[in-house]
Amino acid sequence: MENTAVKKSKGSDFLGKLLRQQLFIPVAALLILAIFNLIADPSFFKITLGYSSAGQPVLSGYLITILDYGSELAILAIGMTLVTAASGGQDISVGATIAIAGSVILRVLCGTDSRPETLQTSFLVAFLVACVVSMLFGAFNGILVAYFKIQPMVATLILYTAGRSIAAWINNNELPIISDPTFAYFGGFIPGIPIPTPFFIAMACVIVIALVLKFTNLGLYTQAVGINEKSSRLNGINPKFIKFLSFVILGLCVAVVGLIKVSRLSSINYSVIAKDIEMDAILAVALGGNALSGGKFNMAASILGAYVIQFLTTTLYKFDVQSDALPAYKAVVVILLVVLSAPSVRQKLSGLGKKLRVKEVA
Amino acid sequence: MEIGEGHIWFKSRRSARRICAWVMSMCLLLSATLLAGCGTKELGTQEETQSQETQQIVVGFSQLGAESDWRSANTESMKSTFTAANGYKLLIEDGQQQQANQIMAIRKFIQQDVDYIVLAPVTETGWDTVLQEAKDAQIPVIIVDRQVAVEDPELFCCWVGSDFELEAKKATAWLHQFAYTKGIDESQLHIVNIQGTIGASAQIGRTKGLQDAVAAYGWDLLAQVPGEFTQAKGKEAMEALLEQYENINVVYCENDNEALGAIEAIEEAGRHVGSDILHGDIMVMSFDGVNQNVMQYLLKDKISFVGECNPHHGPRVQNIIQLLEAGKTPEKYSYVEERVYTHDATVPSVEVDGVNYSVTVMTKETLQEFK
Amino acid sequence: MSKKSSGAENSILYRLKHMTDTNKLLTITIVIFFLMYIGAIVFQGEGFLKPQTFLSMLNANAALIITSCGMSLVMITGGIDISVGGVVALVSMCSAVYLDYHNGSILGAVLISLGIGLAFGIVQGYLVAYLEIQPFIVSLAGMFFARGMTTIVNTNPFNVQNEAFVALKDTRVIVPGLGSVNKLGRYVDAYVEIGVIVALLVVLLMFVILRWTKLGRSFYAVGGNSQSALMLGINVKRTKFLSHLICSLLAGIGGFVYFMHVGSGSASHAMGMEMNAIASSIIGGTMLTGGVGNIIGTLFGVLSLSTIQNIVSSAGLDQAWWTGITIAAMLCLFLVIQSIVMARKKKSVQA
Repeated sequence: MENTAVKKSKGSDFLGKLLRQQLFIPVAALLILAIFNLIADPSFFKITLGYSSAGQPVLSGYLITILDYGSELAILAIGMTLVTAASGGQDISVGATIAIAGSVILRVLCGTDSRPETLQTSFLVAFLVACVVSMLFGAFNGILVAYFKIQPMVATLILYTAGRSIAAWINNNELPIISDPTFAYFGGFIPGIPIPTPFFIAMACVIVIALVLKFTNLGLYTQAVGINEKSSRLNGINPKFIKFLSFVILGLCVAVVGLIKVSRLSSINYSVIAKDIEMDAILAVALGGNALSGGKFNMAASILGAYVIQFLTTTLYKFDVQSDALPAYKAVVVILLVVLSAPSVRQKLSGLGKKLRVKEVA
Repeated sequence: MEIGEGHIWFKSRRSARRICAWVMSMCLLLSATLLAGCGTKELGTQEETQSQETQQIVVGFSQLGAESDWRSANTESMKSTFTAANGYKLLIEDGQQQQANQIMAIRKFIQQDVDYIVLAPVTETGWDTVLQEAKDAQIPVIIVDRQVAVEDPELFCCWVGSDFELEAKKATAWLHQFAYTKGIDESQLHIVNIQGTIGASAQIGRTKGLQDAVAAYGWDLLAQVPGEFTQAKGKEAMEALLEQYENINVVYCENDNEALGAIEAIEEAGRHVGSDILHGDIMVMSFDGVNQNVMQYLLKDKISFVGECNPHHGPRVQNIIQLLEAGKTPEKYSYVEERVYTHDATVPSVEVDGVNYSVTVMTKETLQEFK
Repeated sequence: MSKKSSGAENSILYRLKHMTDTNKLLTITIVIFFLMYIGAIVFQGEGFLKPQTFLSMLNANAALIITSCGMSLVMITGGIDISVGGVVALVSMCSAVYLDYHNGSILGAVLISLGIGLAFGIVQGYLVAYLEIQPFIVSLAGMFFARGMTTIVNTNPFNVQNEAFVALKDTRVIVPGLGSVNKLGRYVDAYVEIGVIVALLVVLLMFVILRWTKLGRSFYAVGGNSQSALMLGINVKRTKFLSHLICSLLAGIGGFVYFMHVGSGSASHAMGMEMNAIASSIIGGTMLTGGVGNIIGTLFGVLSLSTIQNIVSSAGLDQAWWTGITIAAMLCLFLVIQSIVMARKKKSVQA
């Protein structure tokens, strides 16, 4: 009798620990979605090896789609996590700045001719220019937030509205098309490799950020600023600069995603490209169990969260949900997540848990 | 307490007075600027009246948006026709796909006393009120591209545009001939239709033409899905269709941008686009033919058929305006002449309603013409 | 006791200081509006001298005026609501579907509009005020939900044919004495739509509430300093809840007015309206940090915004993107002005 009670408490301890693990939330969500799909239609997990029109091997299937599009989100989630942690707010202009970055890449590659026979420069130069431009836009957001002390979401609202207009303006509202097939590699497949390239790009970004977090104090400083700005200043950290830096890093992430996005189409559509992606990126951070009000963060959880979000999107698509209706479902998920992580709700829940435990002991 | 409150009251009264003074001085300054502005302005217009107003014709153009290459070419045609050098002043308002914006633009043109209004409507219905206003102001309205459905046809002066149903009839007649020549049974044509923006004239005409042909020839129409005339939506729609149906062999796209998107989706799924549908190809048919890439694809047999939709409305609208200026009545509906482009000469010409239309085979020389 | 009274006195003083700020910002707004209108006359010529041009601006922006009033209220209380554009789209789509597909009555459509507004207000207000979730996240989800729901209700845009509604939509209130003679010598009456009258009533009502009622003062107090508002015995949570409720309700009313103006349902309706509403409020002198704002300023904010749109389109910058860029630039400018004002004030308080 006694023995079982001890075991039980040990078991609940283990469960408690598991629940407190930040990675628990995205992993649990992933499992729920996977099981749901397994029951609804096991063919969801089918991966087939086919050949593209050029005779190259390509993998296709829903899981590959998730890997492909989830990688874009994962890259964004890296930057968004830092911004969230440092400033306690989110950048809602990422979709619009992706349009700008993409537009810059096309502009640099094509020059003034929207249907060029030969490209003006190499892809690397175009990408670097896009990086600089979108880091500048990130810096703009960063300055408004860090130095003018405007709430992050309101400050980024400016670019949220103007961004797509600026993107259209950069290319004079033309829709340049790049006919060079190698440009499509970034968002498609590299010949001979059947796994979509965005996945490799995302992995490269993950490795870079992991190294940065390991060998610099960026992570520590960001969390310190997010938890308490005043005390971090007293400890010799410049909170303004850290906030500013987080927005610039997000700008860099945005440029990478912009490259993938325009490469997918070999062209651009200003009003549709990366539409509603800001919602997904924020959702990825929230699903990773990170507090949206800033402070401590877990990068791995955010990245996993990004793939889970894509899993959800793909599942919804599979059930014939229209792309325009997707936001409604995701909004419900956001609200549930935010409500569950709200301090007052957590208190109530933990109070409830304690009561249960007290009853158990009694 | 009492003293404190009195103190505050006094302070607020003083500050209120200061603000009052500030506002008043600002108003004074403003009215001065206003007067000055008016004065100079009147002088300016008088000069303008003498020098320009006698020849310059003011045209207000309400374009519905900038969603496709066709639309951009259409806007560009207007801009290059109604130039100051040709004796026109062109005011363009982009409706951004919103009827409300276009109605506002027309009201603005009326307020500005323009001489002619050119309207490229985003939808067919809902124009009666504003067109009545234009008629009351006695400004002729020329409709271009899509049509308007109004109770009183006198509300607009005339319409210029394409016969979308004829374009579709040519396309289906060609497909019918093509299948016949290649010895493909009609029931073996498994077609999907990526439609344009639902309710647009081009969508209605092109969809109707296809549906009539499906009924007449017994083709297998698998699905019709909207693609909103954009590349991104076209790709999205095609991806979903490829997941859903294995046996698609003809994709009927209602404009160029959708075709480009569809081709990407097909190639990413590892299928081959081309005319050889007996051996597993998926044939892409498209309309508009204003996109350079589409023409190159036609040459490479990635697209097999393009029904031209001529976007160069500017010169035709100018002709109408000149007729009106001369006091003549233009024709109520004028269709523009449009060609048919194909990859190869399997079908030399198509016959629709007893009229024969020749088919232009895309070659490197023809492509040069497009530059 | 003495401590309490000094707290109250401080807060009254505090508020008075803010009131002067309100007046200052209001004056800036009005001056800018007049300057822009003169600019418009210079750029655009006679068109802008006609009263009807001004009235058309009101007609086109009646819905924006209403939603901006709600936005100002939420911002005065220290929150923000970016779901209003989505609510407007949802309301117009639901009303359109109800009128045309279910053969509904106009009264029913109005009730649906109010109901949608109320529902959004209650949910968002509860989440913000009682669960203390950031208003931005809540209303961002609200916006996406409303936009998504609009597509779920009906995918394709369509014009409403319901006769009673079309008659209502085309009803015009003629403004005597403001008509003008067109170039053919015909006298054209000047008119406003019913929506404008609704909008002006809303402005008046909100102005009265904010200026002369206890409730109105509590909005300012909560936004200015919720700590001292609490000390004054104001129910902070309830006030915040009410501000969101009223804002969404006004978005519902604005949605119907918008619907009356355009006469159609579409998922792309009122795209970016939340942005315009925020911009109007900020230009009108409402501070994002809360506690400062004026409904008359908001009205002028909307007018300034639509004037600048007119100028942009008639200055030869016909491309659509210029509108977005100029509005964003204006918003940016005013945000920076506000932030500077705040910084200077902090310094003077410290000194």
